[in-house]
Amino acid sequence: MSGPVASVPSSLRRSVALVWRTLRSMRTAIILLLMLAAGAVVGSLIPQIPNSPQRVAAYQVDHPFWAKFFQAAGFFDVFGSWWFALITTLLFVSLVACLIPRSRAMIRTARARPIHARELDAFPSFAERTVALAPDAAARGAAAALRRKHYRVELDETAGSVAAEKGALREIGSLAFHWAFLLLLIAVIVGKGTGYVGHATIVEGYGWTDARFNYDGDLRTGRFFTGNFSGTGIQLEDFKDPFRTTGIPMDFSSELTLTAPDGTSEQTDVRINHPAVFNGVRIYQFGFGWAPIVQIHRGNRVLFDGPVVLGQHTPPGENPLAQPWEGFVKLTTLRPQIGIAVRLYPDAAAYFRSIATGVPQPMTEANAPFMEYEVWQGKLLDNSLSTLDTRFMHRTATGLIGKGWTVDATRGCVISGTSDAIPASLAGLTCPDGGGAATLTMAFPDLRQYSTLQVSRDATVPWVFAAAILIVLGLLPALYVSRRKVWVRARPGGTGSILQVGGFALQRKDRFDEEFASLADDVTTAAGGAVRRESQEVSP
Amino acid sequence: MTTESWARLSSDAFNVALFSYIAAMVLSFAYLAFRKERLHTVATVVGVVGLVANAVSIASRGIAAGRTPWGNMYEYSALITFLVVLGYLVVIEGRAKVRTVGGFVYALAVLTMAMAVSFFYVGPTALIPQLNSYWRQIHVTSMIVASSLLGIGCLLTIAYLIKAASERREVDRLRTGTPPPIMGGSGVETSDPAAPPDYAGGGDEPVGNTTTSRKIALPPSATLDALAYKFIRFGFPVWTFGVICGAIWAQQTWGRYWGWDPKETWSFITWVIFAGYLHARATAGWKGTRAAVVALVGFVSLLVTYYAVNLWIAGLHSYAT
Repeated sequence: MSGPVASVPSSLRRSVALVWRTLRSMRTAIILLLMLAAGAVVGSLIPQIPNSPQRVAAYQVDHPFWAKFFQAAGFFDVFGSWWFALITTLLFVSLVACLIPRSRAMIRTARARPIHARELDAFPSFAERTVALAPDAAARGAAAALRRKHYRVELDETAGSVAAEKGALREIGSLAFHWAFLLLLIAVIVGKGTGYVGHATIVEGYGWTDARFNYDGDLRTGRFFTGNFSGTGIQLEDFKDPFRTTGIPMDFSSELTLTAPDGTSEQTDVRINHPAVFNGVRIYQFGFGWAPIVQIHRGNRVLFDGPVVLGQHTPPGENPLAQPWEGFVKLTTLRPQIGIAVRLYPDAAAYFRSIATGVPQPMTEANAPFMEYEVWQGKLLDNSLSTLDTRFMHRTATGLIGKGWTVDATRGCVISGTSDAIPASLAGLTCPDGGGAATLTMAFPDLRQYSTLQVSRDATVPWVFAAAILIVLGLLPALYVSRRKVWVRARPGGTGSILQVGGFALQRKDRFDEEFASLADDVTTAAGGAVRRESQEVSP
Repeated sequence: MTTESWARLSSDAFNVALFSYIAAMVLSFAYLAFRKERLHTVATVVGVVGLVANAVSIASRGIAAGRTPWGNMYEYSALITFLVVLGYLVVIEGRAKVRTVGGFVYALAVLTMAMAVSFFYVGPTALIPQLNSYWRQIHVTSMIVASSLLGIGCLLTIAYLIKAASERREVDRLRTGTPPPIMGGSGVETSDPAAPPDYAGGGDEPVGNTTTSRKIALPPSATLDALAYKFIRFGFPVWTFGVICGAIWAQQTWGRYWGWDPKETWSFITWVIFAGYLHARATAGWKGTRAAVVALVGFVSLLVTYYAVNLWIAGLHSYAT
C-alpha cells in the first residue's frame, strides 16, 4: 500500500508544477492574448447591453433563436461575462507567474557585479591594440572611459581586467510595462467597483441633489458600491447652445452652482470637453432639451405647476433640430384621471416657414414658441413621463397654446393670449364666457431649457492614467534599449601593454559594430594608445 | 484666395496625387518584372510628384476648413497615404536601399485614396463640439502615424512571407530528400516546451536568409524581416500612446476613459494582436512564419479598426459621413 500512497502527493506536485510551467510559458500568454482579442471581436459585432440596450432588444425580437444562445453564452455582455473575466484572470496569473521570477532575476543582476572574462578573442566583436601605459594603469584608464559611456564597470587592476555592461534599462522597462498592467487592472476594478454613473436632468432655475432617487433611471453602480452618494447639490443657472448658421452646434454649456453637503459652493461652467470636478464627483455635459413651464388649475385648485421635460422621437434620417419636442403631464389625483400630451415647436417662424417651403427648418432658438396639446381622460396605466398609454382613455380636447397664453383644456379654446407668429386660422377659437368651476385651465407662462448632466464617481482615474503612463514609459526602453557587455584585458607587452577589447550585444546587433569600434578607440586612447583603426583592428 | 478655391485646389491636388500613385505603382511592378533601372527612377520621380500633390491637398484643405485637416475619415485617409509613401521613400528606398517593394506600398496608397473618395468624401466643414479638443490633435495624429507605420510593416511582412517561401522551395530543390527547415527559422531553436521563454534576445534577431536568391527580385528574407520589425516596433508604442490619449479625451468628453465602444474595442484588438506579434518574435517555435502570420492578422484587424467600424458598426466614433 505504501508505494501508491506515497506517489499521490508527488504526482499531484508534478501536475501542479506542470500547470504552473504551462501558465508561465510564453506560448500560453500568446494564446491567451489572442483569445482575449477573439472575445473582444465578438463583443464588437454583437450589440452589447451596456452600450445599446435598444439594439439588443431589437435583436432578440428579430432573431429569437440566436438571441437565446447569445444570452446563455453571455455574448450580449461580453466584457462583463464570466468567460471574458476568466481569460483576463488567466492572462494576469500567467503574467504574474512570469514577472515574479523575472523581477527577482533582475534584482539579482542589478546587485551582482559584472563578471570578468578570459578569452576575449572569442567574442563576436574583438579588437587588439598596443598602448603606452602599464597594464594596471591601462585597465584603470579603460574603466574610466567605459564609465564615461555609462557602463557599469568592474575593475581588477592587478589582473589588468575590466568587465562592463550597459542596458539594464531594457529589462527594467519591460518589467515596468508588464507590472503596470496589473496596476491598471486593479485600479479599473476598484474604481468601477466602488463608483457610480448616472444622468441628472435639470431645468434652468431648478436644482438637483446627488442621491439615488433623483437619477433618470439609468443609474449604474459598481459591484462594491455602498450607496454613499455625494449629496452634491447642482443648480442650473443657465444653459446655452449656440449654433452656426449651418445648423452645426458650436458648444453646449451649463452654468452651474455646485454645493457640497458641508456648505461650500462653487460657480462653474460645464461644457463639452470641459467637465467639472467637485466634491469627489465629475460632472459632464451630456444632453439638453426644452422644458415649458406649465400651470394647470381647476377653479382655484392648483393641479400642476412646474416644468415639463420634453424629449424627441426623430425618425431616422431626419434633422432632430427640425422636429417638435414631446412630453406629458399626468394628473393622477383626479377622477377620472387626466393625461395631457404636448408637442412643442420652439420657433414658430421657422416651423411655418418649413410648412410653406416643404423644407424642414432647424428650430434652434425660442422664437414665439407654441405647443399643440391633446387632453385624454380615463385611467392612467403608468407614471412614465415619456409615454402615455391611451388604451383606457379617450380624447376630450385638442388645441394650441402659445407662450404666455392661458387655455381652457376642457373645451380646447383660448382664454387669453395672441401671437403674431401664429396664423389666426390655427390659433383656435377664443373661449365664450362661463366655462364653470369644473373647467381645466392650462397656462404656458415660460419656456426654459433643461440640461442633462452625467454625474459620476470613479476614485481611481488618476491611478489608471499613472498606469497608462508607466506602460508607455516602460515600453520604449523595453523595445529600444539593448543590453551590451564589454571586456578589456591589458597584458604587459612591448614598452607598455597589449590591450584586448571584446564584447557583444544581446539585442540590436546590427548597431553594435559601430558602437564597439568607437568604444575600442576610446578605451585605447584612455590607456595611452594611438588610434589607428585600419591596421590594428581584428575582426574574427 | 477664397475658401471655395482652396477647397477646389485641395480636390485637384488629391486627384493628381491619386493618379501619380497609380502610375508609380504600375512602374514599380514593371521594375520588379523587368529590372530596368530607368523604370525605377521614373517610378520614384512620379511617386515624389504624388507625395508633393498629396501634401498640397492636405494643406489647402486645412486652410479651406480653417482647422487642422484631420477631422473625418476622408482627411485621415489623405494623411495616412502621405505618411505611408513618405515613410517608404525615406526609410525603405532612401536608407535601407530596398527598391523592389514600392509596388506594394503604392498599391496600399491607391486603395486608401480610392476608398476615401468613394466612401468618405465630405466638404471641408467645421467640426461638432465634441471634436473640439487639443486631445483630438494628439490622439488622431498618433493613431494615423501608428496606422501608417504598422501598415508599412505589414506590407513588408507580406513581402517577407513571399520571399521566405521561395527561399524554402529553393533549399528543398538543392537538397532533395532532406526535410525542409522548420518555419524558416535560422537561429538556434529549442523545442523543449518546458524550457523557460527566451527573453534575453527579445524579438530583435532577424529571421531568415541573409543571402539573396535570384528566383524572386525581392531582397533576402532576413532584410525584409528586419525592416518589417523596425516599422512595427516603432508603430506599436505610437499606437499604445494614441489609444491612451484617446482614453484621456474620452474621459474628458464622454465621462469615461473606456467604454468598449466598437472603435475602442477594435483598437484594443489590434493592440493585443501586435503585442502578440512582439511576444511571438521572442518565442522559440513562433519566430519566423508564425509571428509573420500574427502580424498579418494584426493588419486585418487594423483595417477593420480603420474602415469597418465606421462603415458598418454603429458607435460613438461614427463621424464618417
